[in-house]
Amino acid sequence: MTAAVAQVRRAERLRLLVQPIAVLVLVGGVLAWAFGQDLDSIERQSINAPALASATRDHLVISFAVTALVLVVAVPLGVLLTRRWARRAAPVFLGIATIGQASPAIGILVLFFLVSGLDGLWAAVLPIAFYTLLPVLRNTVVGLQGVDPALVDAGRGIGMSSATVLRRIELPLAVPLILAGLRTALVHAVGVATLAVFVNGGGLGLLIDTGYKLARVTVLITGAVLAVGLALLVDWLGAVAEAHLGPKGLR
Amino acid sequence: MASEIELIDVTKRYAGSSEPAVDSVSLTVPAGEIVVFVGPSGCGKTTTMRMINRLIEPTSGRITIGGTDTRSLDPDELRRGIGYAIQQAGLFPHLTVAQNVGTVPGLLGWGKARVADRVDEMLDLVGLDPADFRDRHPRQLSGGQQQRVGVARALAADPPVLLMDEPFGAVDPITRGNLQDELMRLQAELRKTIVFVTHDFDEAVKLGDRIAVLGTRSRVLQYDTPEAVLANPADDTVAGFVGAGASLKQLTLRRVREVELSQAVTASVGDEPAEVGRRLAGSGHEYALLLDARNRPVSWVHARDPRQPRPVGDSVSLQSTLQDALEAILTEGGAAVVTGARGEYVGVVEMDAVIGTVRKLRDEHAAEVGT
Amino acid sequence: MPARARPGVAVSFWEFVADRWNRLAVEALLHVSAVVQCTLLAAVIGVGLGVAVYRSPLGSTVATALTSAILTIPSFALLGLLIPVLGLGVEPTVVALVLYGLLPIVRNTIVGLSGVDGAVRDAARGIGMTRLGALTRIELRLAWPAILAGTRTSAQMLMGIAAIAAYVRGPGLGVEIFAGLTRAGSANATNQAIAGTLGIVVLALVLDGIFALIGRFTTSRGIRGE
Repeated sequence: MTAAVAQVRRAERLRLLVQPIAVLVLVGGVLAWAFGQDLDSIERQSINAPALASATRDHLVISFAVTALVLVVAVPLGVLLTRRWARRAAPVFLGIATIGQASPAIGILVLFFLVSGLDGLWAAVLPIAFYTLLPVLRNTVVGLQGVDPALVDAGRGIGMSSATVLRRIELPLAVPLILAGLRTALVHAVGVATLAVFVNGGGLGLLIDTGYKLARVTVLITGAVLAVGLALLVDWLGAVAEAHLGPKGLR
Repeated sequence: MASEIELIDVTKRYAGSSEPAVDSVSLTVPAGEIVVFVGPSGCGKTTTMRMINRLIEPTSGRITIGGTDTRSLDPDELRRGIGYAIQQAGLFPHLTVAQNVGTVPGLLGWGKARVADRVDEMLDLVGLDPADFRDRHPRQLSGGQQQRVGVARALAADPPVLLMDEPFGAVDPITRGNLQDELMRLQAELRKTIVFVTHDFDEAVKLGDRIAVLGTRSRVLQYDTPEAVLANPADDTVAGFVGAGASLKQLTLRRVREVELSQAVTASVGDEPAEVGRRLAGSGHEYALLLDARNRPVSWVHARDPRQPRPVGDSVSLQSTLQDALEAILTEGGAAVVTGARGEYVGVVEMDAVIGTVRKLRDEHAAEVGT
Repeated sequence: MPARARPGVAVSFWEFVADRWNRLAVEALLHVSAVVQCTLLAAVIGVGLGVAVYRSPLGSTVATALTSAILTIPSFALLGLLIPVLGLGVEPTVVALVLYGLLPIVRNTIVGLSGVDGAVRDAARGIGMTRLGALTRIELRLAWPAILAGTRTSAQMLMGIAAIAAYVRGPGLGVEIFAGLTRAGSANATNQAIAGTLGIVVLALVLDGIFALIGRFTTSRGIRGE
């Protein structure tokens, strides 16, 4: 499989290089095109710098709130599920999270909106976080389970407490996988956040929805391309973080 | 700076299995000695060792180190005072060599500068140049180097007691030999109390001041010096474990300086052949050894052909083992030249002397068992 | 449905399902059929693309990078972009589903094929197989678990994306979810959303089970991990 692994690595390197350029060209191009159009008054309400900036900001706030929530919930949960006394519960939680991900994102969003009565930011953040939990939870569990038991034994054997072994040995060694899970979660979150418009959460989905409902193609395309650009950009930042934040001895 | 370890009726029983994993083991590890637990895999030797630092808690029985009951201490505190080296070193891959070695001093709360000094001292001790190795990661080391770092880490806080669980099990035979020599050199200097677990009997013979041969459920089949175990296995199980070639293995335990040396007829390189022949004539020897100006052996000459010297091939020193001497005797054909510290001739060792030593060893231990 | 009383919401939800069973069944069928057909189409195109590029290091690197990058694109944005081009209804739905479905399959085909031991490939050619023979009888069979895993991932993903397609008037259970949303506050809004969501979860799990079975029966025993 080494040839295949090398293949995937090369592709990752290529993306690190090309992706930010693609984002710049794509977003720059569509903005230049949109602002160059002869816009009517309805289009001008959506296509102006403050409106675009605020939609993008909303989108990012949702995405990062989701990621922060997932990080705070999934990593400790993953740690708990790999402790010896809780190991049997791991398949149960992973099963629930798997079903969560097999469910349609739009369904979860709409259901939560209808049942909770919440509106706006949290109506978007909470269900998206539930939907995005799995990659981080699974990678945390797999990462911690993948730590060589001999290293845990060595740590305990030279007098580290179990908490110290977790903090200084197990978690640092699981960091690469946890980071990969977070990157997946963040990209998921940016994608699903385009649906936040349906629960009044704003974001770039608002432009798409407005453009569609009012039959303004320029608005629709601008919103969609900005969402694409944002997803590619966030994914690229995740790749950069993965490449630089992992423990040095493992790279 | 060393402590005696005492195991008193130590038993380990796992839930759900009828037989205990370790059954009532009692054993005293004298201060400053290397005791090797040797036995087939699965016999419970590692379990027994891991109960000393409470990585496994005994079901019953008592373990004391330097007279203190280990149960009276916090397990983490206890382990910080016991060096621990394991197979494949168990180095933390995300930490540098220095961070690995400095782990225990760090846990004990030493200051940064003191830890750094200690790390360099330890790396020097195990034969790794600190300037070169300090900042490397384990992945950038060979297997043998990793084991050295593992030993350095175990010794870093200067613990009186060291537990080693097959620490050289995963390296090639040549490296293993070097690491064993290194450990013996270190031990001559440090005199720690070391419990060493291995399934390799030859390793046990080489390293152990005493060997505990363990059977199933960690039962002590024989606990004695390597010489005694080799000369007189307690029962068939031990004999089977000692394996073929016990007499040859015994030869590794004796040094040339311990046997009686014979004297060859000697002459100087510059002497006339006639003179050499004259010396041999009345001696009963067929060969004479020619020495150079500084008394170092150069070649053998035969009485009938004094003009055709045969160079000395394999020679041994006073520090060599009798096994080396036997090898040289067989190569040279009859006797091996023994040299002193500066390579000067001191005598020859002959086949009879080797045979006599083996016989004497056997008689000694037979007598011991008889009493 | 038995008339025995059950706690609040549950009774009315099952009543709702019983009431609309015919409509829900048709929507479920449309949902599955759209996903399965698009997955199959994506598998044919995806494996074809993978086979076309896997021998060229540059080609497979670019293809792997491109597919991973496109996977990050939000599906709602892609559907939006397709509206001006393809209008509403079935066409944008099919195009979007096939496009997304392609990505895991292309990637896994390339990874699977480049993972085949070079010695095996040499041996196949060495005993006189043609390049096509070696590809179909040896390489693709060895890469099959990876290809199947990619197809399975695709199918799962498309289940969820197909729900969003209802926004552009696509068929399937997504219709119930969006109907529930627009009727928020009315009596059956929540029931509609639950029916749509739960229906898709059930369909996804069943389809996944079928894929697991296919994997069991089509993977050569010599390379099965169990």
